[in-house]
Amino acid sequence: MSGQGLDQLVKMVNQISANMHGATDEQAADKVATHLQKFWARSMKAQILAYADDGGEDLTPISRKAVEKLREVRAAG
Amino acid sequence: MLNYYDPSQHRPDPNQDLGTPARLSEKQIALTIDGLEISVPEGTSVMRAAALAGITIPKLCATDNLEAFGSCRLCAVQIEGRRGYPASCTTPVSEGMDVTTQNGKLAKLRRNIMELYISDHPLDCLTCPANGDCELQDMAGAVGLREVRYGFEGANHLDAPTDDSNPYFSFDASKCIVCSRCVRACEEVQGTFALTIDGRGFDSKVAAGQDEDFMDSECVSCGACVQACPTSTLMEKSVIDQGVPEHSVVTTCAYCGVGCSFKAEMKGDQLVRMVPYKGGDANHGHSCVKGRFAFGYATHKDRIKTPMIRDSINEPWREVSWEEAIQFSARRLKEIQAKYGRESIGGITSSRCTNEETYLVQKLIRAAFGNNNTDTCARVCHSPTGFGLKTTLGESAGTQTFDSVMKADTILVIGANPTDAHPVFGSQMRRRLRQGATLIVADPRRIDLLKTPHGGHMLHLPLRPGTNVALINSLAHVVVSEGLEDQAFIEARCESGAYQAWRDFILEERNSPEALEAVTGVAAEKVREAARAYAEVHNGAIYYGLGVTEHSQGSTMVMGIANLAMATGNIGREGVGVNPLRGQNNVQGSCDMGSFPHELPGYQHVADPAVRDRFEAVWKVKIDDEPGLRIPNMFDSAIAGTFKALYVQGEDIAQSDPNTQHVQAALTSLDCLIVQDIFLNETAKYAHVLLPGSTFLEKNGTFTNAERRINRVRKVMPPVAGKEDWEVTQDLANALGYPMNYSHPSEIMDEIALLTPTFTGVNYAKLEQQGSIQWPCNDSHPDGTPTMHEVDFPIGKGHFAVTEYVPTEERTTRRFPLLLTTGRILSQYNVGAQTRRTANSQWHDEDVLEIHPSDAELRGIRDGDWLGVSSRVGHTVLRCRISDRMQPGVVYTTFHHPGSGANVITTDSSDWATNCPEYKVTAVQVEKVSQPSRWQQNFQDFDRRQKDYLENASADEPAPMGK
Repeated sequence: MSGQGLDQLVKMVNQISANMHGATDEQAADKVATHLQKFWARSMKAQILAYADDGGEDLTPISRKAVEKLREVRAAG
Repeated sequence: MLNYYDPSQHRPDPNQDLGTPARLSEKQIALTIDGLEISVPEGTSVMRAAALAGITIPKLCATDNLEAFGSCRLCAVQIEGRRGYPASCTTPVSEGMDVTTQNGKLAKLRRNIMELYISDHPLDCLTCPANGDCELQDMAGAVGLREVRYGFEGANHLDAPTDDSNPYFSFDASKCIVCSRCVRACEEVQGTFALTIDGRGFDSKVAAGQDEDFMDSECVSCGACVQACPTSTLMEKSVIDQGVPEHSVVTTCAYCGVGCSFKAEMKGDQLVRMVPYKGGDANHGHSCVKGRFAFGYATHKDRIKTPMIRDSINEPWREVSWEEAIQFSARRLKEIQAKYGRESIGGITSSRCTNEETYLVQKLIRAAFGNNNTDTCARVCHSPTGFGLKTTLGESAGTQTFDSVMKADTILVIGANPTDAHPVFGSQMRRRLRQGATLIVADPRRIDLLKTPHGGHMLHLPLRPGTNVALINSLAHVVVSEGLEDQAFIEARCESGAYQAWRDFILEERNSPEALEAVTGVAAEKVREAARAYAEVHNGAIYYGLGVTEHSQGSTMVMGIANLAMATGNIGREGVGVNPLRGQNNVQGSCDMGSFPHELPGYQHVADPAVRDRFEAVWKVKIDDEPGLRIPNMFDSAIAGTFKALYVQGEDIAQSDPNTQHVQAALTSLDCLIVQDIFLNETAKYAHVLLPGSTFLEKNGTFTNAERRINRVRKVMPPVAGKEDWEVTQDLANALGYPMNYSHPSEIMDEIALLTPTFTGVNYAKLEQQGSIQWPCNDSHPDGTPTMHEVDFPIGKGHFAVTEYVPTEERTTRRFPLLLTTGRILSQYNVGAQTRRTANSQWHDEDVLEIHPSDAELRGIRDGDWLGVSSRVGHTVLRCRISDRMQPGVVYTTFHHPGSGANVITTDSSDWATNCPEYKVTAVQVEKVSQPSRWQQNFQDFDRRQKDYLENASADEPAPMGK
């Protein structure tokens, strides 16, 4: 997926980050990562990870952190 | 002695009229009637006590869903030691009473009364539509009336006119006996107060509104008066046309989430009328204009009766056999998966179909498609309820029965319009408001509930669209800062760490009503008053609708509501709770049945290996451990070219989903779209396979209503195309090589019960026996669970969630200075596919744009003008209605008619957690125009072309006859 589809995913993850509450950014990013792992389809996760690999310039700081945590969660299996 | 105590009012035979309503006192009163000893609850009438003892006292003005009135005097009895002949309907039992219901004196008295009635009543019984179903006729027989000594020459009402204005029933005043049952039904049952007795004495007559035609009055055509009428004065036109039905079957309405029980009254396989069933636990014998009258769509000429296929949406349909249509579908799905991968196809389950059908579609997707790309229309309405309630309370469902509202002291309604969207429950709410409960409505519009005649204290919080979370936070701030919390409940029932974090957050000054007044537009003092009115009473109950969920912060708001209920201890008993009012008949059920891409039936996550193990053992197939695509993600992936085929059962995404042009682009990108529906709906116009669906009258199954109540749907006529919907899904699974061999929906329910911990005790035998079951129904709750969370939460302790207000990105600008919000009206249902094909369209034949007088004046707009409505994604044209129900700056419309294009304007903005679309907030501009929008012109062309393709469908072979 590219273009509009990807824009939508970036918008979605940033929106989740804006709404997830945590005492620290670290905690908030954990929650966002858990949310993505729990609710997003395999293809969507793959796309957002690839986007982060390419720099992920439109990800907010918490989103960026969350996507990295998602990568760890998925690597851990 | 016979002992009667009936806490459940309907346990006596629901088909019997006991004359007056049940009384629920625990104190028993013993009396003797015609020598028979009986004991009944204190307050019961002599008439009801006699009926319970099996003794029938003649009556005309009494019926057991209305309070006694005592006007006809036919029910006179003699009571030992009392003077005269008291009316048994208005006389309560007393200890040791000795009643005589039949003797010579009483017989003469009753005959004389009947004689007077009949002296002013037409004697055309043989040709009267009520012949065989007339209480007046029955009573004339019962009292042995043999002559009318007065003659028929004197002043009379025999030439009184008939009012035929209502499309469903007629009012023949010449047959009226002025018993007031219709007037009282309109008041007590429906709560509209549209009917009255006009004039006095001999001139008394029933009048609608200000002595208008029924259609011109405020009558909402609920049918309560028709049902109450003991003669043929108020009579269904279908009975006038077809005669009295000969058998009836109890089933469940397929309109809104109230889930009313009806008797489908039949002649052979023809449905003559739907009569609300007194034994129905959701509706207790009441109905609305949709369920009661709008069933004609089932036999409408537009019904799809033959399976059809085509290679491209730019060519006519080909009528084929079921076999060929199913094989064609299976072949296309397999080819697409071979080419684009396992995850390139998916399906959408229906919130209008039965639990069993929904279960089967998601099973087909997970087991036969081999992925989790299943979603349901609940995505676009109540998915935030699932997320929000599961996070806070641990279960994705409302906490109460509908009857619970009768114990609420304050009713808080947020973003819901019960009198239009859940009318029968709306009437029950109004009953409670007339008893004095306080009403708080948080809604941008002044909804009709606020105009409840004879209601108690009412408070309207007219917030700006999109500011729900700010409002709920400020309400909670008042509760906490003014010490209105229920500390005992919080300590015993809620997680303390999360509670402390929430409490610290909510106490921050920025969450005070004063600080948020500028955001919500609601005066701080009003917010404080509302918070106190909710928190200070014993029982505060919250009801909410799509005005809560369909926002960018829908899930946050649901959690905010749960927080408020927990903080005030309003959970876990009757009269309180958190209650999502579900839009469609089986939204609750479709969610329960595992329609969402991340959850197997019973809200069990697909990533949980233990859960998958259990399903895999029964389904005998490997289940994908990753969630699938949601509807909006399916659309995005279709446009991106990775999602290629979709199976849609009973759902019209092309009309109901937001940003229509985006949806159309997605549907056109598909290589194979399989639509199973009763009509050529908007989505089907983009389809390659059209499989005929069956209506609720044509199949067996169950629906689950907004109070988690599982009700039976019973087949009363054969499916027009030969198959119930579940049979079609089963055929498709078999054609795909995944065997399914159910012979009846009860077997599907048995499998659901086997795999879903909250359904363990549910089966058809128990449903027959109990009438309905509220889940959870399992070993710990063998008869079901009317009230949830009485002792603990499914997650143990209640979880307070911090609900930061994050304004939606959809906001007004100079270019789009108004906010559009969307909703429903009483006479139409959802996309209107059903109701538009009935006479209900006489109440609402087009969608209009409601606009405040000051916004209209600013733009030089008048009532009835054509208005161009533009948002950042689209443009459409609607007719104007100027209405001061709106606040300045907010406009409103409905999307019951496809050509209106209301969803051409709504955007892709959605709830952060669930992608539930933000239908309730779209920034728009409105201006006067003279022609339809380009989208509408294209729509009309496309619509015409697709209808031609249907009309000119070629039959390659004889159309299949039945199964």
